[in-house]
Amino acid sequence: MFASNLLLLLAIILPLASLLLALRPDWQQAYRYCLPLLPLPALLAGLTLGPDASLELPGLLLGGRWGLDELRQVFLVLTATLWLVAGVFAVGYLKVHYLRRFCVFWALTLAGNLGLVMAQDIASFYSFFALMTFAGYGLVVHEGTGEANHAGRVYLAMAVVGEMAILSGLLMAAQQAGSGLLADLPAAVAEADRRWLIMFLLLAGFGVKAGLPLLHFWLPLAHPVAPTPASAVLSGAMIKAGLLGWLVTLPFGEVSLPDWGNALVILGAVGSLGGAVLGVRQRRPKTVLAYSSISQMGLMTLMVGAALANTEYAGPLFAVMALYVLHHGLAKGSLFLSTAMALPAGRGGQWLLWLLIALPGLSLAGLPFTSGAASKLAMKELLKPGNFEFAMAPYLPMLMSAGAVATMLLVWRFLWVQRAAASVGSNPAFMCLGWGLATAGSLVLFWWLPWPGAVPDKAWLATMVHESWSLFWPILVATVIAALAWRSVKQR
Amino acid sequence: MNLSVLMPVFALMTSLVASVVLFALPERGFRLRTTINLVAAILKIALVGMMIWGVAQGREYEAAFTMVPGVEFVLRADALSMLFAGLSALLWLLTTIYAVGYLEDSPNRSRFFGFFSLCVASTMGIALAGNLFTFFLFYEMLTLSTYPLVVHRGTTKALRAGRNYIIYTLTGGAVLLFAIAWLHGLVGDLRFQEGGYFSDIAPSMQGPLTIIFVLMIVGLGVKAALVPFHGWLPQAMVAPAPVSALLHAVAVVKAGAFGIIRVVFEIYGLEAAKDMGLLAGLSVVAAFTIIYGSTRALYQVDLKRRLAFSTVSQVSYIVLGLCLFGPVGVAGGLVHLVHQGIMKITLFFCAGNYAETLGVHRIDELDGAGKRMPGTSVAFTLGAFGMIGAPPLAGFITKWTMGSGALAVGMDWVVAVLVISSLLNAAYFLPILHRLWFAEQCEPWPHERRWGRLETSAWLLWPPLITAALMLVAGLIANLPFSPLSWAELIVAREVAL
Repeated sequence: MFASNLLLLLAIILPLASLLLALRPDWQQAYRYCLPLLPLPALLAGLTLGPDASLELPGLLLGGRWGLDELRQVFLVLTATLWLVAGVFAVGYLKVHYLRRFCVFWALTLAGNLGLVMAQDIASFYSFFALMTFAGYGLVVHEGTGEANHAGRVYLAMAVVGEMAILSGLLMAAQQAGSGLLADLPAAVAEADRRWLIMFLLLAGFGVKAGLPLLHFWLPLAHPVAPTPASAVLSGAMIKAGLLGWLVTLPFGEVSLPDWGNALVILGAVGSLGGAVLGVRQRRPKTVLAYSSISQMGLMTLMVGAALANTEYAGPLFAVMALYVLHHGLAKGSLFLSTAMALPAGRGGQWLLWLLIALPGLSLAGLPFTSGAASKLAMKELLKPGNFEFAMAPYLPMLMSAGAVATMLLVWRFLWVQRAAASVGSNPAFMCLGWGLATAGSLVLFWWLPWPGAVPDKAWLATMVHESWSLFWPILVATVIAALAWRSVKQR
Repeated sequence: MNLSVLMPVFALMTSLVASVVLFALPERGFRLRTTINLVAAILKIALVGMMIWGVAQGREYEAAFTMVPGVEFVLRADALSMLFAGLSALLWLLTTIYAVGYLEDSPNRSRFFGFFSLCVASTMGIALAGNLFTFFLFYEMLTLSTYPLVVHRGTTKALRAGRNYIIYTLTGGAVLLFAIAWLHGLVGDLRFQEGGYFSDIAPSMQGPLTIIFVLMIVGLGVKAALVPFHGWLPQAMVAPAPVSALLHAVAVVKAGAFGIIRVVFEIYGLEAAKDMGLLAGLSVVAAFTIIYGSTRALYQVDLKRRLAFSTVSQVSYIVLGLCLFGPVGVAGGLVHLVHQGIMKITLFFCAGNYAETLGVHRIDELDGAGKRMPGTSVAFTLGAFGMIGAPPLAGFITKWTMGSGALAVGMDWVVAVLVISSLLNAAYFLPILHRLWFAEQCEPWPHERRWGRLETSAWLLWPPLITAALMLVAGLIANLPFSPLSWAELIVAREVAL
């Protein structure tokens, strides 16, 4: 008990305490090497603590409570892992230029991101969410270019509006619930007279972070201009905070809301396909990846819609979403980190590197025997039209396949522009290590990380062989389209 | 004579005596003057701290004597007065430290610190006043003792601002006096009383009482900078930074707001004021002031002027909170008395540091100041986020409590006001933060001074760091006993007992 409380506390305190290293300019080199250590207690907490670990802090804010449950555990493992590998990468990536400032904003954003996953009371949750949002600005504008400042302005303006929507939504929900705990919100929102307003505010507020269509404008501007390790955590972990916000506040499992389900499925489809359409037209690898994130979040929005439409499937869908979050976070993190990697001189080495860069991408598209295939199969299992009765339900499988094609197209586009952008040279050891860890996490480690309990057990190998065609054809279709497009460009 | 009579008197005397001694000191006695200042301030904190402890146990401290038949002079320490007295005592110490550093080698320091102490004595008197008459005495004394501080530099601009200030506040004072006299004629001498007097009044009294209420709000609203009586406040910016800090955070605007609290709570009574429809009107004025102040702040290029309009906006949170009739909303308004104080004083200290150390007055001159003055800039950043209402700072606690309170009584539009105000706050504070931390310094500082190893004089650096830390603590431990929020809830429990 004591040890688990200490670990939960340390997970937040360590990143915050590291700010002391910023007191003196000559400690900044030491600070740089501490970055990978900061998420370690959180990772340990995610891996070792049971889903019922919790810590009461009655004096904090309006009464604090931090802890884990099955959903938060997966989010915490992903968040901590991603910040860890990105931190390792950052040690090699960073230059002396504004080093101290970068470390400060890194630690603050990290503390916010970990904290919001663990927070179980409303005030802590909102506090950490705001900390992450505002500190994230420091990472976005770090390079100080005009482009970065512009992206930062858009990021901040939308983030502030989002924060206000979240605040109003939480206020109303908390007022209805008469409680300061997040766990009491869904039931209260379900019964509220102004349910539509509360839900709208929360959906839109968190939707800014999650890159919901029409609220996504900041995302393709901000993610590419940030330093590469920051892009990785922005797109892999922070974007998921919006999703987590939805999952812990909206009335899942309380009441079936087919209208909201329809609306979100449509929004999700627009995000998933629209993100791809916009993404394939981009010329910079990181921008393509940012649109890919929007597209992937579209698929998750689709699941959120389905879960809202049918109380029965909310629980299982949560588990699948958690799995999807884990998969996407690791794969996208690895892809973002790979954009800064220089190619080795030898031809064999180049081929190996391209393979390792491409694999997490293929995993996103659902290549059999990857994490993507695992989560896509789990998703398919649940989103069968027979399970749902709302208007958009029959289209779900089609949308999922279309999403897979779109994802693969984006991966091709990414590899294409990345090839043009890549330079030949050597990489600092820490960068290789960080990227290697991220890739290994996406391809190998994924299978050992704690899976949410409600996901069907891992008798996947046989299923994957059985389903390999259904998983593979979208990749094939996308590849054919990409090849045709490439030929037409070449002929012109 | 037992101790409970003397405590409020002692608390008042510390600064009164200090003031007299300071006037008498020769200009050169830097060390002696500083010692007297600090000893008096620390003594006062100790006295107020003891009274706070006692009041929490349910004790009351009171000293009273009859001045002329029918008119009493009453000093009293109750939960509400301790909220204001505690704030003033604490911030006076910090402002004194700051002022010592700020005026290190400027002329007329004896005069300055004399009036400075007098000003704090008046504030203490306002906090401890036990009836309207006593309140009014100190309210006017505050006007007279702040005037020399506003015009301290003696420039034409300062004199003009001072004249403006005195016209506004004396007029307000006259209106207030008229209202008090009228009320006195109607019902006699009224001590402040928890729950107020007018819970059941004859219909014939309703008319005069409504007019008196409006007059009192006008009289007090001048100092509280309610629109349209706020005109003096932005002009008073010519005053030295410690004075601005005091005017905006503790003394003048808070005296107005505190007076409104006393009138609503302890003369009229919250319930009666609401039933007579007085609070509805007041809430509209407060809400308008909040939006108006923030909007004007957006267009200021001078840092102190932007902060001044921000004060106009923020002080009205307190007034709006009162109008939310209901324990939660009222507590939100009350706690903002303290929260706004520590946040705004931090910002003004910082603005003073930029002016003194770098010669920077305009916002566009702040580029890259974060690197040159990291401590000050961290404090400023926290202050700005506090004003925006970002958690876990003090401002968030206010906003959350007021928002919940408003929803609880069905005044949903207040949440919209809070949100709009926060957005405007973000719009005028965040660009400053960007300049501080992320913009490159392009031009040399207008007028740079060096103080050894630190970014500025230690006298100037520590006060904002401490108040910024207080602001963080007030938010973080809002749920513990003796936090400003818990204290405000204690007051509400005693006043309203709903």
